[in-house]
Amino acid sequence: MSTLPAFANEPVLELRRAPVRAQLQDAMDALSPKLPLRVPVMIGSGERTGAELLSTDPGEPGRVVAVSTRATEDDVAAAVQEAERGLRTWRALPAAKRASALIRAAAWLRERRLEVAALEVRECAKPWPEADGDVCEAIDFLEYYARSAIELDAGPDLLQVPGERNDMHYAPRGVAAVISPWNFPLAIPCGMTSAALVTGNAVVLKPAEQSPGCAHVLVRALRAGGVPASAISLVAGEGDVGAALVAHPSVHTIAFTGSLPVGLEITAAAGTVAPGQNHIKRVVSELGGKNCVIVDSDADLDDAVPAIVSSAFVYAGQKCSAAARVLVHDAIADQLIERVAGAARVLVVGQADELATDVPPVIERSAQERVNRYAALAREQGRIVARVEAVPDRGWFCPPTVAIELPRDSPVLNEEIFGPLLAIDRVRDVEDACDIVDGLPYALTGGLFARDPATVRYVRQRTPVGNLYVNRGITGAMVGRQPFGGNRLSGTGSKAGGPDYLRQFVEPHVVTENTMRHGLVV
Amino acid sequence: MTDPHPDPDDDQLERSIRQIGADLASAFPSSARHPLRSLDARAMDFASADQELKAALFRFVDVTPACRSLDDLARHLREFLREVPEAPPPLAAAMRIADVKAARPAVGAAAAAGVRHMAHRFIIGETPASALGVLSDLWHHGVASSVDLLGEATVTQPEADRYAARCDEALRELARAEAGWPSRDVLERDSIGAIPRTNVSVKISALTPLLRPDAPELGRRDAAERLRPLLRRADALGAHIHIDMESLDSREAVFDLVLDVFSEEEFARGPSAGMVLQAYLRDSPEQLERILAWAAESGRTPPLSVRLVKGAYWDHELVQATQHGWPAPVFEVKAECDRNFEALTRRLLEARPAVRIAVASHNLRSVAHAIAYNRMIGGEDRDLELQVLRGLGDQLQDALASRGFRVRTYCPVGDLVAGMAYLVRRLLENTSNESFLHEQARGTSLDVLLAAP
Repeated sequence: MSTLPAFANEPVLELRRAPVRAQLQDAMDALSPKLPLRVPVMIGSGERTGAELLSTDPGEPGRVVAVSTRATEDDVAAAVQEAERGLRTWRALPAAKRASALIRAAAWLRERRLEVAALEVRECAKPWPEADGDVCEAIDFLEYYARSAIELDAGPDLLQVPGERNDMHYAPRGVAAVISPWNFPLAIPCGMTSAALVTGNAVVLKPAEQSPGCAHVLVRALRAGGVPASAISLVAGEGDVGAALVAHPSVHTIAFTGSLPVGLEITAAAGTVAPGQNHIKRVVSELGGKNCVIVDSDADLDDAVPAIVSSAFVYAGQKCSAAARVLVHDAIADQLIERVAGAARVLVVGQADELATDVPPVIERSAQERVNRYAALAREQGRIVARVEAVPDRGWFCPPTVAIELPRDSPVLNEEIFGPLLAIDRVRDVEDACDIVDGLPYALTGGLFARDPATVRYVRQRTPVGNLYVNRGITGAMVGRQPFGGNRLSGTGSKAGGPDYLRQFVEPHVVTENTMRHGLVV
Repeated sequence: MTDPHPDPDDDQLERSIRQIGADLASAFPSSARHPLRSLDARAMDFASADQELKAALFRFVDVTPACRSLDDLARHLREFLREVPEAPPPLAAAMRIADVKAARPAVGAAAAAGVRHMAHRFIIGETPASALGVLSDLWHHGVASSVDLLGEATVTQPEADRYAARCDEALRELARAEAGWPSRDVLERDSIGAIPRTNVSVKISALTPLLRPDAPELGRRDAAERLRPLLRRADALGAHIHIDMESLDSREAVFDLVLDVFSEEEFARGPSAGMVLQAYLRDSPEQLERILAWAAESGRTPPLSVRLVKGAYWDHELVQATQHGWPAPVFEVKAECDRNFEALTRRLLEARPAVRIAVASHNLRSVAHAIAYNRMIGGEDRDLELQVLRGLGDQLQDALASRGFRVRTYCPVGDLVAGMAYLVRRLLENTSNESFLHEQARGTSLDVLLAAP
């Protein structure tokens, strides 16, 4: 077995250099004639086309990006059955073999990374730097989990005494259902799917109905890398497809990233043991957040303001990690509000394919309506200090908005909005801020701007959030550097891109052998 | 470096560099104490030797203006020092005192005074008006100046407007005051013509909140809107505007902005203006060729002045590149950077009169090299401007002035809050083990200091 070089993150494009930027248009030009993509239901080596599901460009809703086939309940059943079949050979392969399939899939993506990024720009309105970052993160997951799997396969050292041999190893759990979101349309399904695969599970992937085109790319990459068709199936569709998958008695693990309500439904459904089902389903979930940035009186606002604005508004606030709420010390609140509002006012709202765009459209009409509802509520209950009204008239654009003076029980301060709306709240001190964070049901990411090491120690020790960022923006977790995932109602505490992640897809087995026979240790 | 077949020209140049360097060194004011010594926080001495202590002290200096009270300040000091494994005895004593609540205001006051003292070495006043005394003293000692208005980062449009207004005010105030200064031929004329007394350095990043590394056009257009009125003002007052360069993230925007705006018909004859070339960037030779090609094509008069610097964002550029997995945009070996500096110096000197050249360095070798090469190719001393930073290059400034060179000192103006980023960068430079100043302070021999990189 050849050893892999140490893991390193895939470098994102150096877009500050003009020649690098020039490649983007070429990539878009190469993609455009191929649209709309055709995405069949892919079960094993079979493909089926039928009733259509359209994914469209959120910035130009008339533009169809992918025409997918809606999977049916029969498709789901067939896919799970195929996975059970594929599992037998796939799990029997040495871990290193499975890992090398991931490495080859990463290489396949690397060769096409600009075109894949272009697809994300179109299908999900991810601005170029974000789309490129997403492709890099997908590559990172493949490379990182390949290495983790080889490490995990070695098993831990157990205590050995004369006369017995103790061995612990990790076996795949079985069939994994992966239900993925649209906001990181390649990286998140890639992370969940590749983690399940590399540990020997077979996967049925149900991507978000908004981004089946990107999921199709993932399945092609994995199969091109050498994952057998029977070990990875693709069933595009809406909630009913996911529900059928979750309820299927032969599914062992459900990896889900998405909203809290859906996550709780999945957890409940997975808890039901069907007749003939001989296992307890495990749910690995990454859910919502209401991420707060605490700003103490000694913060450097030159750093804090740009970091807050980009954490709140990049990709229109549609990252699970995005900043939703700022908790600022009274002593500098006026200054901070003035500067954040001023910085928000110069945000450029525009199409995802333009590099000057800060805030692209949100994913769909219902998202636009939801964000606008919260913005109206913010106006009613508090005060709007910045709102960029100049937005394109076609597409699901939402004006970036900053609101202050909201009552502490306002839904704007407590519910996940998932859009370009930032609320700023004054606090007496850092302790007060920590109390507020403690009172929220979510605990995904958090930020702290403070320069006194004692303050940093205090918040670190008190905060329930899964990822705390100190004196920097709170988005952009990197595989291997910031293992990512939330606590409380933000998820099951799994850390994607971290050393513990793969353990959720395996079950431990211990074998103890008696090595003594008639006084002879064999 | 030993070359088996030394070029006779090289040989002659090296001899001349040594001679000029030795002469300048002998002209250093002997009574003046080295900046390292005179930073009265003795801590700076310790800081050069101990990375953790250096980090603690810099973090303290940096947070000083954001502290709400002397008590708050003392608490910060104590917490930063707590992270240093072995604090030198004087600091350990300070920490013990800072633990006593009643003593904290006294510790805070002493520390604040220390930071202010440090800042005043590098920053000559809070406003242009309050800086006039220093500027006039410099002029009377044969030293020209360029005023840089320090400010907080520009993140909003009103902040950009305020910075532009401050620049405009500085131009007017300086021009009015400087009109009354006595004439100094060496500072006011080269073979191309008149050189303005009033000289203001402007930061493009402060003129717009829209500077984006990925989309330079946006910030460039917005900054140009605020730059043009300043150029008109400078032209009317006969002042010089120098466009500063910052980190690589804004390089393209600044570079394109300068070449675009100075190509405009309105600014084809003035004002006197300049830009900066950073020798630590690996691609600086190509950038220089672009400037020279532009200069040749535009034929603008007066010619653009190019300030050659090493570059002040070395650590930032390396950390950023490493975090992103990008190739380092800067030379990582000091000698490579020094050699590039000299190559760019020669190219610039040879390109006159299409451009004016200002060599901004505290490295005696780099300065002596520029002077020697200029003479070797038949240039006049007055066609080479030398620049230093206030607080770091004071001795070199005096030595150059005493030998009749045109030396211009870069003088930051602004309050402590605004000046902190600048101050920390200067302190970093001052305590860097690789810096020329540090070498010099350590008593490295003149031969070694003047050797070819």
